[in-house]
Amino acid sequence: MATMHTAPISPNEGRWIPSTCGMCLHGCGIKVQVVDGVAVKIEGDPSNPDNLGKLCPKGNAGIARLYDSTRVLHPMKRTNPKKGLHENPGWVKISWEEAYEIVGRELGKIRKEDPRKLLCAIGDFQRILFWGWPAAFGSPNFFTSLGNYCGGSYHPVNGSVDGSFASINDYEHCNYWIQIGSGDGFSSHLHLSGSAKRMADARMRGMRVVSLDPRCSVASAKADEWIPILPGTDRAFVLGMAHVLVHELRRYDREFLRDRTNAAYLVKGDGYFYRDAQGKAQVWDIAANAPRPWDAVAPQNVALEGAYFDGAVQLRTGFQVWKDILLENTPEKMAEITSVPASTMRRIAGEFVDAAQIGATIQIQGKIYPYRPAALNYYRGSQSHANGFFDNVTYKLFNMLAGNIDVPGGHLGVPLDHRGFFVSPGEDGMLKPEPHQLHPVPPFKYPPDSTHLMEWFPIGFDAGQLNAETLLNPERFGLNYRPEAVLLYHSNPWWNMPETDKIEEIFQRMKFVVAIDIQETESTQWADVFLPDRTFLESTLLNCLEPPAVTGHSFRQPVVEPLGDTQDAYDILTELAERMGFRDDWNDLLNIVCGFAAKPKYLLDPNKRHSVDEFWDQYARSIYGDDKGLEWFKVHGHAVRYRTPEETYLPFGNLRIPFYFEFVKRLGDEMRVKFSEVGLKDWPLDNYQPLPFWKNSQVIEDGKAGYEYYAITFKESLHTFADTMVMPWLSEVSEKDSVHGGILLNSATAHKLEIKTGDRIRLTSPAGSIEGAAQVVEGIHPQVFGVSNVITRQVLSNKRVRAKGSHFNRLLTGSMLYTDSATGGLESTARVRVERLRG
Amino acid sequence: MPIAKIAALGTTRKMLGFSRHTLEFEGSTVADLLRQLPTLDGNCLYDSLVCDGKLRTDFAILVDGLSLKSDQLDKPLQGGEEIVTMAIIRSLSGG
Repeated sequence: MATMHTAPISPNEGRWIPSTCGMCLHGCGIKVQVVDGVAVKIEGDPSNPDNLGKLCPKGNAGIARLYDSTRVLHPMKRTNPKKGLHENPGWVKISWEEAYEIVGRELGKIRKEDPRKLLCAIGDFQRILFWGWPAAFGSPNFFTSLGNYCGGSYHPVNGSVDGSFASINDYEHCNYWIQIGSGDGFSSHLHLSGSAKRMADARMRGMRVVSLDPRCSVASAKADEWIPILPGTDRAFVLGMAHVLVHELRRYDREFLRDRTNAAYLVKGDGYFYRDAQGKAQVWDIAANAPRPWDAVAPQNVALEGAYFDGAVQLRTGFQVWKDILLENTPEKMAEITSVPASTMRRIAGEFVDAAQIGATIQIQGKIYPYRPAALNYYRGSQSHANGFFDNVTYKLFNMLAGNIDVPGGHLGVPLDHRGFFVSPGEDGMLKPEPHQLHPVPPFKYPPDSTHLMEWFPIGFDAGQLNAETLLNPERFGLNYRPEAVLLYHSNPWWNMPETDKIEEIFQRMKFVVAIDIQETESTQWADVFLPDRTFLESTLLNCLEPPAVTGHSFRQPVVEPLGDTQDAYDILTELAERMGFRDDWNDLLNIVCGFAAKPKYLLDPNKRHSVDEFWDQYARSIYGDDKGLEWFKVHGHAVRYRTPEETYLPFGNLRIPFYFEFVKRLGDEMRVKFSEVGLKDWPLDNYQPLPFWKNSQVIEDGKAGYEYYAITFKESLHTFADTMVMPWLSEVSEKDSVHGGILLNSATAHKLEIKTGDRIRLTSPAGSIEGAAQVVEGIHPQVFGVSNVITRQVLSNKRVRAKGSHFNRLLTGSMLYTDSATGGLESTARVRVERLRG
Repeated sequence: MPIAKIAALGTTRKMLGFSRHTLEFEGSTVADLLRQLPTLDGNCLYDSLVCDGKLRTDFAILVDGLSLKSDQLDKPLQGGEEIVTMAIIRSLSGG
């Protein structure tokens, strides 16, 4: 039994148990002090090289999630038949047996009739192995845009370039770091705690950081230079810098482009490679003055640039095609789009290429590598836009100009998990592109099976935001069934999807909603049954997700007895599968997803129920050997180690990476034929291009329609996703920081619009409007209004936290006009009109 | 005759009616083995998984942990291999 402490607890009291933080997706190593069965302190685990003993504010506040008085600790069912965002569900406690009986019956009916009628909103990144439960059920539907909001275009391009899932500059060797729309190393994204330490160390040894952001973010505030830029125009800035390198300075890594990419492959007028009779892509042989297969010419005789004729066939190298595109992207023209002076573009481009030391090498552990200690890093703010594919490819190509992809000091791929880079040979000496790393490319299908139209995005990342269109206009998309139920699994689609009103309408139409979560959310306001999961301090798993510098799993283990009458999500999902008669399919799905199929000795018996510990023990042993099962992890806490240079640098070996994305063009042309065959000739396919360029997005066009300002949303290290904002500790800290106090606007804009801090203002976009208190600051672009994610929640069970209700996503639109037509990435910026409200 | 240990997952388990099986078969290739695995609909697994002599793109076969390419059905089997058959999952998503 727990005893009441009246004096401060000494670090020597009780036990320190190794485990893994669950406050965001990445899972830092932690030690939890437990005294008399009560968790009293969480610290970073210094033995874990991922976070090096560091821990962000969220991790430090983890105990508050465990002991939050508003946690749901018993299964509950709804008694109020009326549903809505502000309808009290009228929860009453029920037994697990009754809860399973209801859910098994309701979802079981749907499964028998047509399993596609279940919409699944799946979160909980650390349990990514469980994301296949809907597939075992039989539903392809993905009713959330949480992952797509940030990485919809980012992940497919990373996977296509080097078989990675994410990317980051080389903390250890980089000397000049351009940061665009990202919090890496400062406030967010990849493994914040360890990354902040690595960033700090790099700054101490003299690394320079230049940050482009519409707002003076933490990264911008701590950078050597902050360059305010209009939202969604970062690509124009980088195209302008690329123009400077290619056309003005003529400084780029010719050897890298020629020998490690397909930039020298010859392109015909139709955009496809010029192939020989055997189908091999060709290069221009300078010595022979003729085209030859790419592997038949000595490197020094390969033309990287230029236009040529083979008889009557006009040819250009892929590099030359982009060079010609860049001709128009002068800094002066790009300055008009970005609001950044042309002189700044020229200066940063020059500093970058100076720092890149093109031609230099470095010896690491006895091996010589190219050394390019300058790189451009980017994330959500710079590429979560309707032309996100072009954004991402532009940033990769700019890095390729410096020859810095996956070399010391440069821009490094970050693998999805312990399996490392997905490397296998493709066509023409190239790395096989792996745009989809979570599942294979779905074949085109009409009518589509999925409500988010995954069959229409062969390089896409699951465009959950399209549900708002497809579910309310199913005939337009040929959907031949109507969903009737939603499974919420640690996901709050009301909060993370654009077009909030439409999401509410979709929820209203559902006959049954079940939630598996820890706390109530806006989305669970529509739930009929609530199945309470355990927190990260009460549950078990192995986690390895997007680690920038390390590899290997951290181990989460229960550090205290579970509170209340909760169950581990694994048990909940398994019991539901059993009740509906597909436990065998669920076990087999885990056999595939966990990689047991490749190591048959570890295959789960489909006909047996496996406990949580049995499952994770099997998983651990399948990766680390039979002497490193769960018992080993309980003692050691993790199997995390630094990635070796061989695992980090040039992972693609002698294979080439794409500079010219011919395969994307081909996919687009193939899709055009398929859409035409089914009579959908107007489906947008214009972003399936082999090279990026500037074109106005709908956001720019909205500006011409009278929406003068931009609105952006942002987050800092205190918060991630929706649920940290309902934690009193974190909320209290946030409220002391004025950037989270209201809708940010620049003092010059405030003066012009006669708005003072505290005034109520309304932002109206083509999609909707939000209201909030104005917060006048200096650190934001004068044409931009900033909305912290802290003020976006609306229904909070925790009365100690104030709902502020400025739900940014009401300003966004989920239609194809605001969606990247190649990747399905959504537009995260809105154009707005602004008005000051009376009273 | 060679012996193969077969693990059938998901859809292929339902086709075959078993999840694990050890089979002594005639011949020497993966294709030979598939032809000798009867399915519940009265055909054989080869008929269900193979189209125009190639493994269908919505199925996978692993031999001792290594995934076969679609044109590798003539891969020789020595006997004692562990063969896993399964359908490709195309809707693993979250976020």
